[in-house]
Amino acid sequence: MAGLSLEHVGKKYPNGYEGVKDFNLEIADKEFIIFVGPSGCGKSTTLRMIAGLEDITSGTLKIDGKVVNDVEPKDRDIAMVFQNYALYPHMTVYENMAFPLRLRKVEQSEIDKIVREAARILDLEKLLDRKPSALSGGQRQRVAMGRAIARQPKVFLMDEPLSNLDAKLRVQMRAEISKLHDRLGATIIYVTHDQTEAMTLGTRIVVMKDGVMQQVDTPSKLYSEPCNLFVAGFIGSPQMNFIDATVGEAAGKITLTFGSNTVTVPDSKAAALKPYVGKVVIAGIRPEDVVEEHEYAEGKTLSEKIDATVTVYELLGSEAMIYGDVDGGQISAHISATNPVRTGDAIKVAFDVDKLHVFDKDTELAIVH
Amino acid sequence: MASTAAKVGSGRNKTFMAILIPVLVLFCAFNTFPLLTGFFYSFTDSKGYGAFNIIGIQNYLDLFSDARVLNSYLFTFKVAVVATLATNIISLMLAIGLSSKIKFKSALRGIYFVPRILGALVVGYVFSYFFTYIVPAITGSESILASTEWAWVAIVIVVVWQACAQTTIIYITGLSSVPEDVYEAGSLDGAVGWDKFRYITFPLIMPSVTTNMVLVMKDMLMVFDQIVAMTSGGPAQSTESISYLIYNNGLSGGQFGYQCANAVIFFILIAVVSILQTKFLNSKEEQL
Repeated sequence: MAGLSLEHVGKKYPNGYEGVKDFNLEIADKEFIIFVGPSGCGKSTTLRMIAGLEDITSGTLKIDGKVVNDVEPKDRDIAMVFQNYALYPHMTVYENMAFPLRLRKVEQSEIDKIVREAARILDLEKLLDRKPSALSGGQRQRVAMGRAIARQPKVFLMDEPLSNLDAKLRVQMRAEISKLHDRLGATIIYVTHDQTEAMTLGTRIVVMKDGVMQQVDTPSKLYSEPCNLFVAGFIGSPQMNFIDATVGEAAGKITLTFGSNTVTVPDSKAAALKPYVGKVVIAGIRPEDVVEEHEYAEGKTLSEKIDATVTVYELLGSEAMIYGDVDGGQISAHISATNPVRTGDAIKVAFDVDKLHVFDKDTELAIVH
Repeated sequence: MASTAAKVGSGRNKTFMAILIPVLVLFCAFNTFPLLTGFFYSFTDSKGYGAFNIIGIQNYLDLFSDARVLNSYLFTFKVAVVATLATNIISLMLAIGLSSKIKFKSALRGIYFVPRILGALVVGYVFSYFFTYIVPAITGSESILASTEWAWVAIVIVVVWQACAQTTIIYITGLSSVPEDVYEAGSLDGAVGWDKFRYITFPLIMPSVTTNMVLVMKDMLMVFDQIVAMTSGGPAQSTESISYLIYNNGLSGGQFGYQCANAVIFFILIAVVSILQTKFLNSKEEQL
């Protein structure tokens, strides 16, 4: 296995469009890195540049310390799992997995050993004689994975490998991939637009937008300390509530005012907001940090009460989501399924202000978490 | 509900029948009826005019001992096999070139298709002039069309030149149906150059190979126009194809019944060759 280094990597197409801009990232050996972002953000392009399937138009890519910008894909010692699996339709499962080894002139006995071991890991032993057309989506996905494993590459690249599977199988395969990473100790770069996949699989996540890397961090840090409005909105489902609020100062305390509501900011966050007094900022609060009055609990630093009217109630099982109007904005909140609140009710909510995020309205960068 | 559906169904059936029956009548009149008539005449000594007698299978027996007929079969199969292989190899190479990232791709595809829209007789006469006057003027040798040994090569060149147009288009379609990500997976696995063609491209375009092999073989076995335009079966009957012999001796040589028997044998042979080819090549095809 190996580490990777991307230094000022960029992709500019002949028509002038820049797919990836100044991408800098150090990927350590055995790391599970996730590239996440909306469609067209450049995550797949970056992965394909690492694979050698797209030319790098600027910057340097190193694998194991060696510059590989101009190295052929086959000589980069990487394996890739494609979104549509890209299995060879005319070969059996066994031949699909053995093919890269055959081309590398590995001895037949060795090929057999490697392929059967990969098949055992992925529970494909009974399918070895079948062709891809006789397999289900999940089985094809496992064969694609097996082909990558059999290669024993330095780096695994995975381009939205679960996106063609149904929801149940996706959850199952997600766990399989996680186990596989632990078992193989492999360096994996994984592209997805599904933030749940990103949060559950990655040791670090790279959030991208419009070809620009927004933030690289661990899943928990990315969730609790998003560096800007985009990351805050993209990571987390349902997404963070954003409310335009004016920063004020009263009795030595910093406040955020929206409509007729005022929230006092805790002292730990006040200093960062002082330069913004009199200005409009964007306050961000996750739905689970908006507390409905039936659920007020000890141990949380709650804001002043805010009047809201519930417009939508969604029961999710053990919990429920409510969406409501407040003076000066709209808000969503997680509540317990036993909470009696329903659509049309006038309720009071409060923010857990320790979890309050504030963003600069102009730069959209985080001011304080 | 059920009666409404039945009424709609019956109305549709009438429309389908109104479309189908005239075509069926025309097909039977100009295809099936002549075929059956030809089959009947193959058991007669008809000269194509006047009275005739039914002579059983005598024509069929005579065919197998007729050196001229056997020579025409040998010539036709030689041309068909060589031309089918040459057409498919050249067309596949052209298709790969025309499917790659090159400039003026669409224009080049159009140019390579031109031979398909030219009449075979026109092409035959042009090439006849080319082989009779231009090539000898350049090489200083006698025309290839005058050689009993090499005239067949000239026929092959012309039929291949013309057949490549359509064959190339079919291969281009086949190549475009191979998923790009399979090639990408191949490039990561080490399948580049010849390995890419051998292990990925060729197996995945087998449906196109089957179609082309069968169609081209059938066309080549029926080679006729080019012979009429270039050699009239000569020199010394060395380029006499089966179709040409059937036409020439059947319609103007007083062997109508005899050549009808030849045509029946030829029909059966083409059908057998096409079925065998399809069966063999289908077994090599893969479901994409």
